[in-house]
Amino acid sequence: MSFLLRCPNCGERSVADFRFGGETNVRPAPDASHAQWVDYYYFRKNVSGPRQEWWYHKFGCRRWFLAVRDSRTNEVPQTYWPEDRTGRGGDGASQG
Amino acid sequence: MAEPDPRQTRLPPHPSQWTDPASPVSFTYNGKQVSALEGDTIGSALYSSGARIFSRSFKYHRPRGLMCMTGDCPNCLMSVDGVPNVRTCNTPVQQGMEVRTQNAWPSVEHDALSVMDKLDRLMPVGFYYKSLIRPRISWDMARPIIRRVAGLGKVGPEKDPDSEHQHHNLHSDVTIVGGGPAGLAAALEAGRGGSRVVLIDEGPVLGGHLLSDVSVHPELEEHAGLPGYQVAARLAQQVQEMSSIRVLSGATAFGLYPGNLLGVSQGKCLYKVRSRGIIVATGCREVPHLFPGNDLPGVYLGEALRRLMHLYGVVPAGRALVVASDHRGYRLAGELAQAGVQVVGIIDARESSPGGDTADSIPVFTDSSIAGASGLKGVKRALVLDKGTGETRSYACESIVITGTYEPNTGLLAQTSTALRYDPELQEIVPEDTPSGIYVAGDVTGLHNLELSLIQGKAAGCQASLGVDRPTGTELDALRRAIREKEQAYREALEPSSPSMAPSKEAGKTFVCLCEDVTPKDLYQAIDEGFDEMQTLKRYSTLSMGPCQGKMCLRPAIELCSRYTGRTMDETGSTTTRPPLRPLTLGTLAGPLHMPVKRTALHERHVQLGAAMADVGPWKRPHSYGPVSEEIAAVRERVGIIDVSTLGKIDVQGADAPALLDKVYTHRFSNLPVGRIRYSLLCSDNGSIIDDGTITRLSERHYFITTTTANVDLMEEWLKWWNAGAGGNVHVNNVTSGYGAINVAGPKARETLSKLTDVDLSPDAFRYMRSAEGEVAGVPCLFLRIGFVGETGWEMHFSAEYSEHMWDALMDAGSEFGIVPFGVEAQRVLRLAKKHIILGQDTDMVSNPLEADLPWVVRLDKDDFIGKHALEAVKERGPRETLVGFVMEEAVVPEDGVPVMHLGQPVGRVTSSRADPTTARGFGLAWVPADLSQEGAQITIQVRGRPSPARVVHQPFYDPEGARLRE
Repeated sequence: MSFLLRCPNCGERSVADFRFGGETNVRPAPDASHAQWVDYYYFRKNVSGPRQEWWYHKFGCRRWFLAVRDSRTNEVPQTYWPEDRTGRGGDGASQG
Repeated sequence: MAEPDPRQTRLPPHPSQWTDPASPVSFTYNGKQVSALEGDTIGSALYSSGARIFSRSFKYHRPRGLMCMTGDCPNCLMSVDGVPNVRTCNTPVQQGMEVRTQNAWPSVEHDALSVMDKLDRLMPVGFYYKSLIRPRISWDMARPIIRRVAGLGKVGPEKDPDSEHQHHNLHSDVTIVGGGPAGLAAALEAGRGGSRVVLIDEGPVLGGHLLSDVSVHPELEEHAGLPGYQVAARLAQQVQEMSSIRVLSGATAFGLYPGNLLGVSQGKCLYKVRSRGIIVATGCREVPHLFPGNDLPGVYLGEALRRLMHLYGVVPAGRALVVASDHRGYRLAGELAQAGVQVVGIIDARESSPGGDTADSIPVFTDSSIAGASGLKGVKRALVLDKGTGETRSYACESIVITGTYEPNTGLLAQTSTALRYDPELQEIVPEDTPSGIYVAGDVTGLHNLELSLIQGKAAGCQASLGVDRPTGTELDALRRAIREKEQAYREALEPSSPSMAPSKEAGKTFVCLCEDVTPKDLYQAIDEGFDEMQTLKRYSTLSMGPCQGKMCLRPAIELCSRYTGRTMDETGSTTTRPPLRPLTLGTLAGPLHMPVKRTALHERHVQLGAAMADVGPWKRPHSYGPVSEEIAAVRERVGIIDVSTLGKIDVQGADAPALLDKVYTHRFSNLPVGRIRYSLLCSDNGSIIDDGTITRLSERHYFITTTTANVDLMEEWLKWWNAGAGGNVHVNNVTSGYGAINVAGPKARETLSKLTDVDLSPDAFRYMRSAEGEVAGVPCLFLRIGFVGETGWEMHFSAEYSEHMWDALMDAGSEFGIVPFGVEAQRVLRLAKKHIILGQDTDMVSNPLEADLPWVVRLDKDDFIGKHALEAVKERGPRETLVGFVMEEAVVPEDGVPVMHLGQPVGRVTSSRADPTTARGFGLAWVPADLSQEGAQITIQVRGRPSPARVVHQPFYDPEGARLRE
């Protein structure tokens, strides 16, 4: 993995500067069923194609942001702050 | 062996040569002194001293000699100064080098293992997949023998004495791989346009194949009348003069990764080069022809002799036969003749010879092909087939020179999405479409014409520095037109050459893959067994899996497979090219051994006090300053002081800070009064513990958190992540290194501290789990009254730069009470007596707070928190195992980690254990099954292999009521 990611704060950097935070996911409501919690915690959609992910600029500004990454090509057409995510791809809410 | 003077065996000096007759150097070869000249490679020097066998082959131990002189084939691998598998043909010689041959006994000249060559029937392709399976022991018996017989150099077990490996990052607008004519032209053009350029070249001198080209090129207007090597020198000179070009010579671009990242190794340096545009001008290489005996020493690729002759002034003695299919072979034959080699003839597969470049005195055999070579340790005779008559004739000669088959060096391109296709006109596998930002120029395009290469280079340099795929520059349009015209002319001038003969199944040993000793017979058999395309054929036969990684064999193998299966070259496919293109040492990849060490601001004080330092994660912490029991006694009876600066410290502020902490911690913090401290855990949503620590509320919207030493970065990420997801107004700052922290604890802690501060520390004014701000010895401090070690104490946090002042002031103030600094070990014993857990020591990845016996920290009455659902589920099902205290019934101390036994089976484990100083019995914490967890339960602990009785204790071992803490 050597692709570049554009941190919304710092700009384009090697992916080695970042910590991968996984695909965005909706955390169930507190009264959700056990099955929903198990599904949330243990299962990933693992989309082959563009998907919304969390990334943390560990060796930079130490901030979390969202990226749309194509898991087939590692192309990252969009990165943005979580508060700017309305209307973007992915599933909107992150952890509930 | 009489040592020949290297100057006697050389050709007369010529300006193309790199060797300097005035500067002799010497090195040892298998312990014997060898003379060489400055400018030689190890290979050229050995060759000039008369060495012809350079190695023994992998499987059959056949003799192998110099063949490519370009670092592509595996034949010249030797051990140099203890480093195995060094390509000696392109490694510059250095005074005093120690060079040894590999994989032969007693010597490469007389290798007893060459008997393997006669045992080939026992080792057909893939024999280790089919034989040595039953009985099972046969593989165990055969394995050490196979490992000894097969293989390359040996890696010494000792550490690399000179492991000064470095990693560098380079950034450029344009990076050019290959310093041949196309690469040089590209660099000049890109540099002229103002781009920052990096030029990577494998050789010690820029120029590529032009360096060994002594013919003149009248077609080049700019360089008319100059021989190739002078054209190279001119271009190289211009490149050196351009300050925007950085040249990496003797450097190998071994990988092209996504994001236009090039991996480049140069000596002990690894460069990571990022560029907007990459121009691949890696040229081409010659590949061997397939005929029986094609691996014998004395069979050369044309470029090898060109380099030996023109760079190092060495030619093979005796007679030579040249296989040619175009003017380059004829020209080489002429050059050899001129250098005094008796050229027996030129073998040309074409029906008629164009003549031209060569002297009339050399006989030309047209419509002929090389059919075999024979000799024991080198070529003695060559067989030539007259394709017209079908007759085979034998010629005595010592050298067979193979020219005319080129393979573009597309290794880097194959690591990208570039389409590589077989061009039937060029009869080469060439790049078709390159992805955006990657350009090609020169021989790598399959067009071998100097004038064209220079224009291609110029166009690529122009295009890459424009930074767009469809540039509008009129100059570029003109260059592209010129390329189209010249390419068309080039293609029209190509003379159809009938493909070289495919060796029949019955012929003697022909080698497709020199590295792994794979013959056409092996490939045919593998194809018959169903491995009929390159990917599986490679894996089954080990073809292309040796040190040269297919550079010599892939092209002939694809051709062979395609012809045997009746499919096209493209249908036959190829193998997947992966980095590294050339073998790298592990040291290169590992780089410098950066092991970061963290020291607290009090490190010097600990050293001055003679502390034994221990590694705690990346930190250096005092294990102890003297006898641990005395440190423990001082804390219990008087006052102790410990540097706790390594604690993770996070400052959390903002309107949504209470909500964030309520969410991530198991305890509740929105209701924590200002000035109070609460201990809590954090869990993940599966209920397992991530971290613990204290949270102090400094104001309505401001908290100060301590975390475990090792987890602070993770906690920072964790808090920020949940806040980012919730979109809360919270600022999370990791202030670990900003604050120093010292804990003063013991019955005399209050008196010690009171001497230095105005803060009222009396029991009623400053109660347990409260905080305050104030000065100590003039330093602003945050006081936290907590009690990890079980005595009255304060943890002070302050700006790290005051650490030594604070320490000195406290030591001074405490001296009248007998203050003693204590280390990590004393702290561990003291906390264990209080049953305070250490995360990661007493818990692991799956421990949850309920089973870790900390239910009071978990507020299941909160609406939600991370891990709540999982912990409710745990509560519902009841605990399976529990973390309990234990005391041994005998005066024995279990070691940390030993099993808890029940009915002869391990059912739990001890996580922390120490000796009670008064009874000498062990006590500590252990995970036990739920049914053995009740107070007073009898358990058995394995102590040094012997079961020993112990009793479960729920209360802390020391001051169970916590009276001393609260005093």
